[in-house]
Amino acid sequence: MSSYEPKLVTFSCKFSWGYLNDEAALAKQVKNWVPIICSGKVESSHILNAFKQGADGVLILGCRGGDCHYQDGNYEARKRVYLLHKILESYGIEKERLRIELSVDPEGSRIPQLVKEMSDRLKKLGPVKKIGERVGVASAV
Amino acid sequence: MAEKPKVAICWLGGCGGCDEAVVDINEVLLRVAAATDLVLWPVALDFKYHHIEEMRDGEVALAIINGNVRNSEQEEVARLLRNKSQLVLAFGACACFGGTPGLANFTTKEDIFNWVYRDAPTVVNPNGNYPQPRTTVDGKELTLPKFYEQVFALNQVINVDYYLPGCPPPSYLVMNAVSAVLEDKLPPRGSTLSPHRALCDTCPRNKTKPSRIALKEIKRIHEVEADPDSCFLAQGIICLGPATRNGCGESCISINIPCRGCFGPVEGVVDSGAKFVSALASIIDAEDDEEMKKVISRIDDPAGYFYRFSLPVSLLRRKRF
Repeated sequence: MSSYEPKLVTFSCKFSWGYLNDEAALAKQVKNWVPIICSGKVESSHILNAFKQGADGVLILGCRGGDCHYQDGNYEARKRVYLLHKILESYGIEKERLRIELSVDPEGSRIPQLVKEMSDRLKKLGPVKKIGERVGVASAV
Repeated sequence: MAEKPKVAICWLGGCGGCDEAVVDINEVLLRVAAATDLVLWPVALDFKYHHIEEMRDGEVALAIINGNVRNSEQEEVARLLRNKSQLVLAFGACACFGGTPGLANFTTKEDIFNWVYRDAPTVVNPNGNYPQPRTTVDGKELTLPKFYEQVFALNQVINVDYYLPGCPPPSYLVMNAVSAVLEDKLPPRGSTLSPHRALCDTCPRNKTKPSRIALKEIKRIHEVEADPDSCFLAQGIICLGPATRNGCGESCISINIPCRGCFGPVEGVVDSGAKFVSALASIIDAEDDEEMKKVISRIDDPAGYFYRFSLPVSLLRRKRF
């Protein structure tokens, strides 16, 4: 499994993360990076869809507590993540695969670092367990 | 005289409540019976599947199918009716979304069999017999339908032309659907034959909802005496109204029971559970991790609650093992 590279999707709010840096340059360092305006914009269905599409983990980087440009989008995102932890576990997806970090980093230099840390944790967890889905029902047991 | 259009009504993995809902249209049923030729209705009439097999493809004008698909027999009947019918109507929550039996997608076939044939306290099975798709008795082979690993909604097995959700669908929507077919006034294929908005939009309690709900505590309906006129969510009782399609006639709300989501997602939404997670998270008043944990710990089985009728059609569909 040493060659296993987890697929991590990272959403980060442009108000606190990497706005002083060149987005294109950062995007080269961070795979599957989705800069957005407000972490509160990340819908539950975006997160579940990432897992459906084969992600091994989702990382959300929001603004520091009290810093949200829209008052409380970061808190909203964090509450959503807590609830989704419960939902993901029912689906057999470990809650460690979804993480939110509320902080500030205008240069964005911590983004690749946080992505690497989370990727390392995901490596230890291994890939998301398979659903064992069949192409046609007719070929079933 | 022109031949009357043929109509088949059939149940797959359902409880029979949807067939009951067809009977509940009362005297309109007589009009239907007069205007159409009922060719199959296992719960009420004595036609057999081979009568359908003998028909030409597309000979049946409309197949009304309720229940989900969990085994090979249900799949076979669904495919048969699809081939013989011009239109297929998925009738009820089970056919549309998998329904409550779809919650079995949070467990495995193996666990279900072990419980039902071995571990349940009322089971006496000293020889450890489990149902087998094929078995030989006195030199003769007996067969049973194969039990699939998961529950499927009807449109995950065959093409479905129209959807009528509900557990069961209310009479007025059944009558509207029947009239639309008889009068050839059907909307575009793929439509759901019910209103398109969220239940909260038509809920009589909506006007009591404060502009901002902030829940410090979540309560269960049987633990409190719910106010019969106020918004359930404002009272801290989970109600799936914000994420559920309306059209049910607020039948649960009017008897002081919160919405459980049998009408499935609002038009254009795939995963109603995810939408409800967002809706609920936004009204929980918690400043820190501890407070959030405390509030959430009061929700017994959140995934089961939010996906009560729609797990098989949710984004992630079933548990990973």
